[in-house]
Amino acid sequence: MSFRYGVPQERDWNALDDVEFRRIIRVEFETNYPTELRYAPRRLRWHETKDWYLRMARKGWIAPNWPLEYGGMGLSASKLLIFQEEAERWGIGRYQDHGTLMLGPVLLRWGTEEQRRRYLPDVLSCKSIWCQGYSEPGAGSDLAGLKTRAVRDGNDFVITGQKIWTTLAHDATHMFALTRTDPDAKKQEGISFLLVDLAQKGVTVRPIRDMAGHEEFCEVFLDEVRTPASNLVGELNKGWTVAKSLLGFERIHVGSPKMPEYGLTVLEAVARARGMWDDPLFREKYYALKLDVAHLADAYNHFTAIVIRGEQLGQDVSYLKIWATETFQRIADLVLETAGPFAAINGTVQVGNTSVDVLASFYKARTPTIYGGSNEIQRNILAQQVLDLPRR
Amino acid sequence: MTAHSIPENETIALLRNSAAGFARFDSRRIRDWRGRSPGFDRVVWQQMAGQGWLSILVPEADGGLGLGIEAAAAVAEQLGRACYPEPFVMAGLLVPGLLAASTNQALKRALLPAALSGDAIFSLAWQPADGSLKPATSAMRASRRNGSIVLSGECRFIVPAQADHYLVLAHTADGPLLVCVDADRIRPGLIEESGPDGFSSAWLRLSDLVAPEAAILMSGVGVTDTVEAALDQAIIVQSAEICGLMQRALELTLDYMRTRQQFGVAIGSFQALQHRAVDLFIQNELARHAKAAAVRAVEHGAQGKALSLVASSAKSRAAHAGLLISTQAIQLHGAIGFTDEYDLGLYVNRMIRLAASLGNAAEHRRRFGDLSEGA
Ligand SMILES: Cc1cc2nc3c(=O)[nH]c(=O)nc-3n(C[C@H](O)[C@H](O)[C@H](O)COP(=O)(O)OP(=O)(O)OC[C@H]3O[C@@H](n4cnc5c(N)ncnc54)[C@H](O)[C@@H]3O)c2cc1C
Repeated sequence: MSFRYGVPQERDWNALDDVEFRRIIRVEFETNYPTELRYAPRRLRWHETKDWYLRMARKGWIAPNWPLEYGGMGLSASKLLIFQEEAERWGIGRYQDHGTLMLGPVLLRWGTEEQRRRYLPDVLSCKSIWCQGYSEPGAGSDLAGLKTRAVRDGNDFVITGQKIWTTLAHDATHMFALTRTDPDAKKQEGISFLLVDLAQKGVTVRPIRDMAGHEEFCEVFLDEVRTPASNLVGELNKGWTVAKSLLGFERIHVGSPKMPEYGLTVLEAVARARGMWDDPLFREKYYALKLDVAHLADAYNHFTAIVIRGEQLGQDVSYLKIWATETFQRIADLVLETAGPFAAINGTVQVGNTSVDVLASFYKARTPTIYGGSNEIQRNILAQQVLDLPRR
Repeated sequence: MTAHSIPENETIALLRNSAAGFARFDSRRIRDWRGRSPGFDRVVWQQMAGQGWLSILVPEADGGLGLGIEAAAAVAEQLGRACYPEPFVMAGLLVPGLLAASTNQALKRALLPAALSGDAIFSLAWQPADGSLKPATSAMRASRRNGSIVLSGECRFIVPAQADHYLVLAHTADGPLLVCVDADRIRPGLIEESGPDGFSSAWLRLSDLVAPEAAILMSGVGVTDTVEAALDQAIIVQSAEICGLMQRALELTLDYMRTRQQFGVAIGSFQALQHRAVDLFIQNELARHAKAAAVRAVEHGAQGKALSLVASSAKSRAAHAGLLISTQAIQLHGAIGFTDEYDLGLYVNRMIRLAASLGNAAEHRRRFGDLSEGA
C-alpha cells in the first residue's frame, strides 16, 4: 500500500502492559489538556477544543479505535477501554467526533478503498469534521420513516429534505446522511447511506437553542444538494444495514458508570455544603444511589470483559444504557432537591464554602435517555429480543 | 432469557451443572415440609452432604473440599432455582466453616466429620433478639464457674430451629466465646417461630445453663471477627441463593406473560407490561453482577471491612431485586399469582425469608453507608 494515512505511532501500544499504557495516556491528558475545559457543563464548540484536538491529531491520537494501517492507534479492545476511561476520568470534552467514532468504522467495514483514501486522512488531521444526519422532524424513534430524498441525476445524487437534532452541525464540514432512494420499497429497504459535503449551495444549518440555553444541535436543510454517486456507502438501498452495524458500540459507551459517578461527587459536595450530609434521610437516598452506581459498574465490567475477550455483545447490553442514564437522572434530580434555593441560580454558584454548578448535571442528565435509541425503544428491544415477549 | 452468562472455570461449571441436575424443583416435597419439623428433609440433607456441598468451604486439611466461595455460590444459586427448603447457607456452610476454624482440636475432631457427612445438624445462635446485625452486641452472657461456663440471655432468628447441636455465641468479661451445646440441653429454652415459607427459626432464652469448658470451640477477642467474617461470606452465598429464586420467579412470570391471553392477545404483548418486565430483568442482572463481584472480591482475598462492604453490596441488591420481582410477579399473574396452589407463592414466601434474614436491603444499604463513611 503506497498511500499513507495519518502520522506514525510512536510506540507499539498493545505491547505495553496496561499499567504502563494507562500511565502514558494519563500523563499526556493531565499535562496538556486545558484545565478550564475539564468537565465542561455542555458540549464544547470546535473553536474551544480545536487546540487540543489538533495536538491529538499531530500525535496520531485522534483515532484510538482505528487500525494502524489507516492512521489509528490500533488499540486492542482493552487498551481502547483504558484510553476512554482516562479521557472520561479527566473530564475531557468531546469535539464533534463522529468522523472517528462512526464514519471511520463505517468506511472500514462498508466503504471502498477509494472512499477511505478520499475521506479518512482529513478526519485524522481534523481538516474535516463530520456530523450525523439521521433524524428528521417526522422520523425520530421511527427512523426508518425518514423522508429526505436522494435522486440520481447523471453522476450525482441530488438531495432534498430536512435533518434535525444534528449535533454540532454548525462545526461540521461534512455529513453522513440516511436518505430515501426508493420511495416505493418497504421503509427499511429504500434507504441509502450518503456522504455529503456541507460547504455548498443548498445547505442551510440553523442551530437550535436548547432549554439550558446552549446551542449544541441544529436543523440542517438540504435543498437540491449534490453529492457524487461515488459517495454512496454500501449498496444502493442498503443504508439501513450500514447504519445498524454501528449500534452496539454506542450502547456500551453510554452505559459507562463515569457520568453517574461524577454526579455522585457533585451530590456529595452540595449535601456537605448545605449541611445535609449527616441527615439520615439524605444518607439513605445517597447510599441507595451509590449502590445503584456500584452495581452499574459491576455489570459494565462484565460487558467490557466480553469486549476484551473479543466476543460479540448480545442485545442484552441495552439494559446498561437504561440503567446508566436513569441512574444519572435520579442522581441529578437529587442534586436539584438537595440544592434547595440554589437550584434557581445559573452557572457555578457559591454554596456554603463550595462552588458547584447545580443545574449542569440536571440538564446533562436529560438527553441521554432520549438519544441513541430512547430508553423506551431500548425497553421494546429488550422485551422482544431478550425476554422473548410477543410483539403486538 | 438470553443474557450473557458470567464466565467461570471448569470446576465451578461442573459443580453448577451437577447441582442443577440434582436440585430439581419439587412442589409436592416443598409443600410437604411446610409447618412440619424440622422443615426440611434430613435424607436430602445427607444426599447434599454426599455431593460434597457441606464441605465446600472447609479446608482439605480438615477433610473438606477447600473449593471457596465461588463454588458455594454456584450451588446455592441452583438450590434457589429449585426453591429448596434445606438450610444450605446457615447449616451447610456457615457452621462447617466455623467448626473448621475451631481452636479446640478435640472438639473439632469430634464434631466436624458429623457436620460434613450430614449426620448431625448444627445451628448457629448469634443474633441479638432485637435483630441487630452486629454479633458483638449479642445479648447472650457467659461466665466461668468451676471448670464450667454458665450461659444466660437470648438469641433469636436461629436457623434451623431444630438442630442436633447449637453453636452459641456468648460474651464473657474477657471477651466472646463460641460454645457447642447439645439439643436436649437447649430445647427447654427454645421457642419456634414459624415463617411465611412454613419454615421455622428459633428464639432461644437461657438462664444459667451450664456447659463444660471442653465445649468451647473458640474464645478471645478474635471470635467476633471470625464469626463476622463467616456471616459476611454466608450473606454473599445467601445472595446467590436469592439470585436463583428471583431468576426462576422472573422466568415463571415471563412464561405466563407469553401464554396468558386477554383481549384476544398474549398479555406479554402489552407494552406497559413489557417495559415493567424489562425493569425486573435489569434488577435481576444487577443482582447477578453485584453477587459475582462480591464473590470475586472474596476469591481475591477481601477481608474485614472490605469483605463486609461487598457482602452488603450484594445483599442490598439481591434483597431489593428479589422482593421487587416477587411482588411484581404476583401483579403480573393476576389473582392466580396470589393463590397457594400456584407455585409462584413458594418462591415469593421463601424470598421473603431470605430477604429478611441476615439483614434486609435497607439494613445493608445503611451498613454499606456506615462502612464507607469510616473509610
Ligand atoms: C442531545 C441530542 C443529540 C442528538 N444528536 C443527533 C445527531 O447528531 N444526529 C441525529 O440524527 N439525531 C440526533 N438526535 C436525535 C435522536 O436520535 C432522537 O431524538 C431520538 O431518536 C428520538 O426521536 P425524537 O426526538 O423524534 O422522539 P420521538 O421518537 O418522537 O419520541 C417521543 C417519545 O415517545 C417515545 N416513543 C416513541 N416511539 C415509541 C415506541 N414505539 N414505544 C414506546 N415509546 C415510544 C420516545 O421514547 C419518547 O419518549 C439527538 C438528540 C438529542 C436529544
